[in-house]
Amino acid sequence: MIALALLLAAAIEYSAPLKQFVGAVGKDGKPVLTQGQLHTLDGLPEHTRELLSTAIDNQIIGSAKHLGILLSVDMPAQSLALVAQDNCVLCHTDPGNVKARSLFSPDPKVSNSNPLLNLTEFVNDTHFRQGLSCSGCHGGTPKDESMANEIAQRWPSDPGLRHADRTWIPGFCARCHSDPAFMRGFSPAMPTDQLVKYQQSKHGTLLLGEHDSKAAQCVSCHGVHGIRGAKSRNSKVYAQRIPETCGTCHADAQYMAGYKNVNGDPLPTNQLAQYKLSVHGKALLEKGDLGAPACNGCHGNHGNNVAATAVAVASFSQACRTCHPTNASLFEASKHKKAFDEHQWPACEQCHGRHQIMKPTDALLANEPGALCFDCHAKYSKENLACGKTAAHFKGALTQLGEGKAELSGTVEHLAEAGLDVEPLTGVIGELSEAVVQTRTRVHSFDQGTFDSAATPGLETLARGRKLVADARAEHGFRRKGLLMAIGSLLLLASGLAFKIRGLGSRASDDEKRP
Amino acid sequence: MSRAFDWLDKRYGLTPLVDFLKHKEVPVGGHSMVWYYLGGTTLFFFASQVCTGLLLLLFYQPGEATAYESIRFITTKVPFGWLVRSLHCWSAHLMIVSLIVHMFSTFFLKAYRPPRELSWVTGFVLFMLALGFGFSGYLLPWNELAFFATSVGTDSMKAVPGIGDWLLQVLRGGTDVSAQTLYRFFALHVVALPLITVGLVGGHLLFIQRQGMAPAMGTHVARRGLRFFPDFLLRDLLLWLLCLILLATLAVSLPYGPGLPGVEWELGKKANPLAPAYPGIKPEWYFLWVYQLLKEFPPHILGMEGPQAAILLVSVMLGIWAAVPWLDRRAQRDESSTAFSDLGVAAILFVGYLTLKAWDIGGKGLKVPDTFAVARATSIITVIVAAAIFALRRFAYQHRFFLLSGAATLQIALHGFLRVSYLNAGIVSVLLIAAGFAYLRLRPGPSVPPRLGVAP
Repeated sequence: MIALALLLAAAIEYSAPLKQFVGAVGKDGKPVLTQGQLHTLDGLPEHTRELLSTAIDNQIIGSAKHLGILLSVDMPAQSLALVAQDNCVLCHTDPGNVKARSLFSPDPKVSNSNPLLNLTEFVNDTHFRQGLSCSGCHGGTPKDESMANEIAQRWPSDPGLRHADRTWIPGFCARCHSDPAFMRGFSPAMPTDQLVKYQQSKHGTLLLGEHDSKAAQCVSCHGVHGIRGAKSRNSKVYAQRIPETCGTCHADAQYMAGYKNVNGDPLPTNQLAQYKLSVHGKALLEKGDLGAPACNGCHGNHGNNVAATAVAVASFSQACRTCHPTNASLFEASKHKKAFDEHQWPACEQCHGRHQIMKPTDALLANEPGALCFDCHAKYSKENLACGKTAAHFKGALTQLGEGKAELSGTVEHLAEAGLDVEPLTGVIGELSEAVVQTRTRVHSFDQGTFDSAATPGLETLARGRKLVADARAEHGFRRKGLLMAIGSLLLLASGLAFKIRGLGSRASDDEKRP
Repeated sequence: MSRAFDWLDKRYGLTPLVDFLKHKEVPVGGHSMVWYYLGGTTLFFFASQVCTGLLLLLFYQPGEATAYESIRFITTKVPFGWLVRSLHCWSAHLMIVSLIVHMFSTFFLKAYRPPRELSWVTGFVLFMLALGFGFSGYLLPWNELAFFATSVGTDSMKAVPGIGDWLLQVLRGGTDVSAQTLYRFFALHVVALPLITVGLVGGHLLFIQRQGMAPAMGTHVARRGLRFFPDFLLRDLLLWLLCLILLATLAVSLPYGPGLPGVEWELGKKANPLAPAYPGIKPEWYFLWVYQLLKEFPPHILGMEGPQAAILLVSVMLGIWAAVPWLDRRAQRDESSTAFSDLGVAAILFVGYLTLKAWDIGGKGLKVPDTFAVARATSIITVIVAAAIFALRRFAYQHRFFLLSGAATLQIALHGFLRVSYLNAGIVSVLLIAAGFAYLRLRPGPSVPPRLGVAP
């Protein structure tokens, strides 16, 4: 093994400081650097190896073991080059130099160090990758060879102090993130209004106004040393991870104890469970549809609000409108709008629910017990018989369209297998699907005329589809009959031929008998 | 009628031809007559191809913007166009089936023995041409499946040593499959290949008419014969009628094929050269064994690229197959040669196993089936078939030479049951064959070469 290590060293032409560590042997007589680490070292650009060599020469990388730790982290050569030039990282990754509580380690569990000091996470941090390292937040410079007083003053060594009062965090991050000129140099498209929004949010008012350090601030959602961009799957704020990130606090009944809604009720902690069952939750978490809203889709990112006051009720419907504009417009122009306003009912939520929004079905439409409309209509609109008729009309047309579409879809595959041209029918099914969507949308007008403007063309399309199916079946029947007739004729001909051959066969036998 | 014949006879001298037909006989006895009709059924399916092909040509328009559309037009708007296309596709597959059975029956009856070597060679070339018809016709609908299958199929041309890249460019008319490829394949399919085929079919038939059909082994001249006209011809005609009934039934009942990979011709989507190829594309069933063999080879072997080695192996095997009349010395002397019968069985097991494996038999319909499960299931089927053939040969025909088919079965068993890689299993089998031949050559016995079997 040692010979192999030396052989490799000879092949690569290491500098003297590197050569010393490459050939280093532990107390057990085995080389300190593993084959994998040597392979990583060999694969580095020469420039990066030179930077490591300089750090060894300057005794910032203090041992072969320390070098091995750096080489064992899965990171691109560019990141290793940044690490090799950053004295803060180099000192805080050397187990011979710092205590476990301030040691950055590839696996903090193994080294018994602070879980937040994960070296693998740190080198993948979006800030680190853009050149903003320890000194960017903690002060000093990457070239400092010891902890300056300035750093100690800026960053109190007692973690208790930092944890007890977290009001400083939003302002601290905002030093860069609220500075458009500064941020343009890194991420020109990134907004810089997070602090303003946060200050107006419920979290912001709790933390900054009431000094409630349990309220979420930047690091609660984004993390500390392994912050990724929101589009990274590893980010805590990646679309599919947002529900769990919010749920860290909001699904924890113990943590949320004492927080109340504006009406004084305890703040529920079942939102995450409800969301996972909802049509939105299933679309995002199960189908992977990143367009489906997570918590932030309705509540916002940094300027989250709680839908409770009259003003918030209206804004809540606006959140739904972002994705469902036609439904919202139809509702705005409907008779229900006035009634809902009078009762101060939220528009969408009243029928569809809040966090557990289920996929609506046509069965909901009826003015009878168990149906969606019944509870309100029985109480507030008992004498209006037209409502029941309208609901029955809606349900009847939608049932016809839905069943018709299922019927045609089931038939088309069978006809295609029989070799019939199903392209026109496939087109009709596509039109019918669109008609079903349009007709269901127009339910939100609660007006028979508006509803029929979509339902009637849909029913006409259905009739056209049924005619195509009938024509295709007739063609199939014609083909089968034609085949049977052809087979019959051919069999008749074959039988005649067989008789003829039989006659010839006996004559051939006679010929054979002749001498 | 007779006056018309006299008129023609005076001008063209038809009497010798009529006399030839009157006296022409088909040998009877020694083996079943059914094998004599397979050439005729192949010819019938070829004639169906020509007729339906001509009808398709009335509407088909080659071209990137017209090929797919014209096929769509044929199958949806042209009266009975769907039927013509279905007949064309079905008769193509049935022709290949008939051809393969005809070729193997000729092989097992040793009908290739002198003086009929050229009948075998022309037949072999006709088989290659039929595969060429299949390959060139596959692209013509210009649909997604055809496009990607042709891309994969032509790509294997690169493996031809020395001229691979040049051959690929010639075949594709450029570096990629494009409209240029379509034009070339169209010209091949409807002009070049039919012309060569008609010429060779003519030669093949002429050889047979001049030499007559091969009598059974051990009889240079048949003891008795069946008159060719009208007795044999009417029987041929009856079989053709039955073939037509089968063809029509299949064409109407399953207009897009039986739905097996490599035996389907649903038009699907139009080819999009910019779209990514979807996984699981397979060539037509008669190319599946080559496709699977290519997959079994590693990227590099013996200083060659894997596909290159695989194509070389296929070429050597086909070369041996074509040269069988000259290699089978015992058949040349009209003696039993069960070693070559065994070679035929080994070929069936080798090709059959690879084809079944390419079909993912035992893969439970998964998109990415478990390769071990597939190898095992296909091995079980092939070993059972091998055992049945062994029993038939040993007890019905008293064959005693099973070295080649045994080695082929051993390879399949090692690969399927013990998970030995296909190539390593093949090496073990080749070593077994070498050891077997060495033993037969060196064992003490009479100075004359040992009889490898008993005549069937």
